[in-house]
Amino acid sequence: MAMRELVTGGAACAVPGSSSSSSNPLGALANAFMGSSSKTQERLREIPTSTTIPSDGSAYVGNGEPLSVLPGSELDHPPQLNAQGSAFLEGFHSADQNRLADVWDEIQRPQVNFPLEHTQLQPDMHGPPQRVLSSFLHSFVNSSHGVPFRPASLPVLGLSEGDKRCIRDRSSIMARHFFADKSEDFINAQVNALLSSLEIDNDIRARGPVPGRFRELEEYWNESQGMRHGPNPADGWVAEFAQHPIGHRDPSTWVQSFEQEHGANGWASEFEHEHAQLASMDHMRGATVSNLAAMEQTRMLANTLAQNNDPKFQNSKFFQFVSKMSRGEITIEDNQIKPATLSAPGDWATEYQQQYSGGQTWADQFVHEELSKGPSGWVNEFAAERGHVDDEWVNEFSKLHVNDWAEEFGHQVAEGAFGDSSADNWANAYDEYLNEQTALKQQSESSHGVYVFSDLNPYVGHPNPLKEGQELFRKGLLSEAVLALEAEVLKNPDNAEGWRLLGIAHAENDDDQQAIAAMMRAQEADPTNLEVLLALGVSHTNELEQAAALKYLYSWLRHHPKYGTVVPPDQLDSLYYADVASYFNDAARMSPDDADVHIVLGVLYNLSREYDKAIESFQTALKLKPRDYSLWNKLGATQANSVQSADAILAYQQALDLKPNYVRAWANMGISYANQGLYEESIRYYVRALSMNPKADNAWQYLRISLSCASRNDMLEACDSRSLDVLQKEFPL
Amino acid sequence: MPVFKAPFNGYSVKFSPFYESQLAVATAQNFGILGNGRLHVLQLSPTPSNPSQSITEISSFDTADGVYDCCWSESHDSLIVAAVADGSVKLYDLSLPPTANPIRSLHEHTREVHSVDYNVVRKDSFLSSSWDDTIKLWTVDRPASVRTFKEHAYCVYSAAWNPRHADVFASASGDCTARIWDVREPGSTMILPAHEFEILSCDWNKYDDCVIATASVDKSIKVWDVRSFRVPVAVLNGHGYAVRKVKFSPHRGSVIASCSYDMTVCLWDYMVEDSLIGRYDHHTEFAVGLDMSVLVDGLLASTGWDELVYVWQHGMDPRAP
Repeated sequence: MAMRELVTGGAACAVPGSSSSSSNPLGALANAFMGSSSKTQERLREIPTSTTIPSDGSAYVGNGEPLSVLPGSELDHPPQLNAQGSAFLEGFHSADQNRLADVWDEIQRPQVNFPLEHTQLQPDMHGPPQRVLSSFLHSFVNSSHGVPFRPASLPVLGLSEGDKRCIRDRSSIMARHFFADKSEDFINAQVNALLSSLEIDNDIRARGPVPGRFRELEEYWNESQGMRHGPNPADGWVAEFAQHPIGHRDPSTWVQSFEQEHGANGWASEFEHEHAQLASMDHMRGATVSNLAAMEQTRMLANTLAQNNDPKFQNSKFFQFVSKMSRGEITIEDNQIKPATLSAPGDWATEYQQQYSGGQTWADQFVHEELSKGPSGWVNEFAAERGHVDDEWVNEFSKLHVNDWAEEFGHQVAEGAFGDSSADNWANAYDEYLNEQTALKQQSESSHGVYVFSDLNPYVGHPNPLKEGQELFRKGLLSEAVLALEAEVLKNPDNAEGWRLLGIAHAENDDDQQAIAAMMRAQEADPTNLEVLLALGVSHTNELEQAAALKYLYSWLRHHPKYGTVVPPDQLDSLYYADVASYFNDAARMSPDDADVHIVLGVLYNLSREYDKAIESFQTALKLKPRDYSLWNKLGATQANSVQSADAILAYQQALDLKPNYVRAWANMGISYANQGLYEESIRYYVRALSMNPKADNAWQYLRISLSCASRNDMLEACDSRSLDVLQKEFPL
Repeated sequence: MPVFKAPFNGYSVKFSPFYESQLAVATAQNFGILGNGRLHVLQLSPTPSNPSQSITEISSFDTADGVYDCCWSESHDSLIVAAVADGSVKLYDLSLPPTANPIRSLHEHTREVHSVDYNVVRKDSFLSSSWDDTIKLWTVDRPASVRTFKEHAYCVYSAAWNPRHADVFASASGDCTARIWDVREPGSTMILPAHEFEILSCDWNKYDDCVIATASVDKSIKVWDVRSFRVPVAVLNGHGYAVRKVKFSPHRGSVIASCSYDMTVCLWDYMVEDSLIGRYDHHTEFAVGLDMSVLVDGLLASTGWDELVYVWQHGMDPRAP
């Protein structure tokens, strides 16, 4: 009797669905997904059983045994004492007998429509947004390789946070199955590229472990099970702590980097990465600095896949899907899917970071905010931006892991798996870990956007450091030039030319952070300096910050003695791409021999991804300025961007012939080789670039990727420890 | 050999243990990354013993998220359990119209449910394994899970009941371990660090209740005897990418079927030296779903992200008309 009553009582206590009433079907889908973690929201909505099966009315009642007979049931839930169970029972007890009988009758007649799950189902299945997304993705998958996918127009597509979370989590997990042969860096980059092209921030990385990460956990287990050997258990615990829970749920990705690099640099660079992502969330559209490397890696993936001889893989829609999405050929912006006109990645960006002060937009952003608000304002904003994310993380973390860990830890301690003092050791080690973390955060915060001077500068006290710096720069001795120019701006902090040249020297030396800091100081000192305005316009283009880029380029034109008249004044607040482009076209008609105008046009065409026009503009400019090495580099980068890596290499070679110490061109050369799948070659170029400037962080990153792709994992350690002599010996050019 | 084209990407296929002509297929839109799901119930016709004519759909059930796996009830012929990516486990009764289904939606997992398996001995309970790192034990008559097994440190991709012992099951996880559990015990009874990479699937030998097979992202399948688990009984290499599913033959003790991200389905005999005894190259995307009929010796079914479901007799070409 008890069983039968329980069964029928369930119908009486069925709770109408509440979590799926959203009018937006995708929102409902998200609710369904997000609601999955909330048991209160998702009460049992169906009758607990259906007895319409003619043969056996108690078909679902198992063997008819009392509930508690099921082995092991007592180990988890005392029978029916959880929230659902008690609601269930309560419903039964409160249901009067007639109602119970009615329900029983209903159950006997299956044609009666019960309030089942279809409220949740149907809208999702046929809602226009879902259909659009689906057909969009599929036509996207089907569109032939290499042809940019440009849907005519799409309605607003409400990809909710839940949807984004699905995409993020699932692609993270699945990528680890597809790309098992690749390094963890590669997989992370791949996933990051996919997510960034979908404008999904990856800072609440729920899943994404190193395969094999938990081996340490196993050791730990084995130790506890009597097979004790190996490292100090306290160390193991700390390492495990460092790896496991944070890596799982941490809103920021720096821990992953820590896992990979185990060093201060790792922390710092990942922290920068995190800033970049924050900046991107609120201020940027398109790729961020952190994505540049990811985009590069994606290209490598595309090349890798293209090299797989199996035609099945060439034809795999899934691979096309992933690699196309990863190449940023679509983005989802403000909940709209768009062709990725703004997210031109990779070489292009790299190139402009080089030539001008471009590079890490977060640094720009930081400086902007720094100027307008002062440091504390920035910090507050940072804290505010982080607030909800942290909460979410903390909730998830505490919900899912802390208890387990604590339990397990307590368990181990109780079993005496640790020595007497090891708990203290653990605590100390953890404190140290936290301190280190705090120190590194402070360190990297303080270094952002603020120009950092070298410690020992022999040029301080030099009678004319600017002249010396210009001379050194001309000779291509960039690192020396930097020192001399630093001496100059220390002496004359308002010397715009000193700052500008310093910025360019850093950029050519592949140090974007310093470059952009210097260029901002230059603009501060001289707000109408044309070269500085152009440099900033380009760097913002490079960062795909269209509005800012247009502003600087407009200002350039506005302050230009020749072209000031072609632009209507005071339009700074409402600049449109088409307008600015037409002003520059006017300017080009006015003086077709002004290489600068063609250069800006080339930049603008890159902004709109019209690479053919961009290449044409740069080639026109090169006819006027054939010895402008940076222009050759631009041409190369644009060619690389339009999938002409072989041509790009020729252009870079021109740049290097003109300026052999052009670090960025060496690095770009490496990128182009890597794009063609020639990883061994690319390694040599990266190493050459790094031998000239070991501070070029991006190049180290690229080098690491190429080493992985070339299966030279044996050299990864040399890369991580930045042992240039080892690398130079192994990879001579 | 008959083929069925699903609207979504195939994820799992299972033969009915009651009718040799019935199949359930779990599918998900957009490769299971985002979108809806559908559970299809298919009928081989005209006769079960001659399944070479066609496959028709008997019924289908829509879900608001991808369906990653499904299994048939061992106690009743019309009951199917579905593992849904939204974290729910749903029960469908074929004898009821789609509007009256699902008859239950069990919402306890906090992440995607990746596998379900019905107890073949007691026939009253089933397991679900999830990306929330847990395995849950359910009975059809209860609105809440009976137990939650939480030891794995990463996604649990598969949980499979022992074919002889009603209380014993194995699980495969991304934490690179397989674990053996007895539901009468509070924790797992054995931890098998079976691979260096994520383990995506496991299954028990139907003729030797101490032998399990594990399939991993490392492209290999390993066969283990749980009585001496330090060394695998056999290591089956031959897949070119991660092995997604592994399944022991219900008819031959040493025969294993597997499917992989290399888009192939392979048959192995782990007892012989040249273990690879068959390779089927019919899918054009990842092959992720696989089953062998208990009722018809040698009858195989597979599905993949090419949205196709194939049913064929071992030794035949799945694509043959």
